Formats: sequence, C-alpha cells, structure tokens
Amino acid sequence: MMREASFHILRVGIAITFLWIGILILKDPQGWSGYIQPWLLDFLPLTPDHMMISTAILDITVGTLLLIDKLTWQASLVGAAHLVTVLIVSGINSVTARDIGLLAGCLSLFIFSVK
Amino acid sequence: MTPHALLFTLAAIGISETTYLIQKRHLGEKPVCPINISDCHKVLESKYNKTFWIHNDVLGLIFYITVAILTSLIVIGIHPVNLLDIIVKLLIYIGVLMSIFFTFLQWRVIQAWCTWCLISALTILLMTVIVLTSSLV
Repeated sequence: MMREASFHILRVGIAITFLWIGILILKDPQGWSGYIQPWLLDFLPLTPDHMMISTAILDITVGTLLLIDKLTWQASLVGAAHLVTVLIVSGINSVTARDIGLLAGCLSLFIFSVK
Repeated sequence: MTPHALLFTLAAIGISETTYLIQKRHLGEKPVCPINISDCHKVLESKYNKTFWIHNDVLGLIFYITVAILTSLIVIGIHPVNLLDIIVKLLIYIGVLMSIFFTFLQWRVIQAWCTWCLISALTILLMTVIVLTSSLV
C-alpha cells in the first residue's frame, strides 16, 4: 500500500507541475521563448511564440493525463522525452536544473506504470 | 500569483481524488481507505452519496475542474478577470458550505468517517482560507 501511495503522490505532484508550467507559458509565451538557445531558432518549424504555445499545450495534456491516471505510462514517457528536449534546447542553467529532478520523476512513473 | 497557484494545486489534488473515487465506483471496486475501511465504505455507499440524483464525487469533480479552469484563466489574464474572480470565490463559498454539511452528515447522521470525504473537506477548507486571507486579483 505504501508503494502504491508513493506512486500516486509522485504522479499527482508531477502532474501539477506540468499543468502549472503550461499555464505560465500560456500567460507569457514570448518571455518563455527567451529560453530557446539562439542556434536553434533557425531550425524551428514555427515562430518561437508558437513553439512555446505548442509546448504549453503538450505540458497541459501530459499533466491532465497524469492527474486523472489515464495513459499514465505513455504520458510519463512523453513528459520525460519533453524534458530531455527542454534540457537540450535550453541547456542546464539555474532554472532548468530542476528539470533533471522532474525527468527522474517521469522516468520513475514510466517504469512503475508500464505493463 | 501565489494564491492562484495554491488554489490551482488544491483543485488539482481534488480532481485526482474524485477521479479515483469515480473510477473505483465504475469498476465496482472498493476504494482503498487509509484510516478505517468499513467506515469509509459505509459513508460512500450510504443514501446520502448523491445530491439531486448526482453522485457527490461527480459533483466534486465538476467543482474542482471548474475552479482549476477559472483560476488558470485568471492567471493567463483572460477577461473579465474580476468576474471570474467573483465566480471562483462564490464557488468556493458554496463548496465549503456543502463540505460542512457533508461532514455533519458523517458525524451525526451516518456516524462514520470517510477518509476521502474528509480530505476533500480539508481541501475546500484550505481553499476558503486562501480566498479569505488574500485578495485574488
């Protein structure tokens, strides 16, 4: 039961983080686009603002699925892949350092929930 | 921003909890009740588990989703922010009144305690404290 409880606590915690980050990006996509490394701007299929809005929608989708415990392993895998992308695109700085912890959390959720 | 973040977090916890209860009910399984198993099921299966023919867990889910969405819209800055703020406050005041009523039912009428119901009541009580101690907009 404790093992089950710790999974659910991690799941809800990671879900809230994804959801809230998605909302904050929607509030100020231009500000968040500043985290994109300059070398990457030429390769983006969309404008930086639109890229950030797409990211916010992805974050909110992953967060919602984790929160309601549906498609949990798929959502945590997408979340982990997304965080790897963020670390590559933004580099590891004082803001993104915590993404390493989130990435570990997503991988734990994936391993726990995959059948 | 901080009160909104707290409200959103509490609403998300509420969504997770009510979703769990609804899923268990649909599957015909009994939810895991951390404190007292028999009491929990006595409350969840009592004749008071519905309000106006709608299961209380469904009402709770609708409440939490509405608060989460409205709080998000306020944070993003969708207008009219003031109106949304008033609606959120009203919803939370109605929610806390219903929670007090349900807690009273458990205490005096059903005479059993349900952990999930108490967690939900505490969640809404905390939301009320946040609304009362902060000017949201």
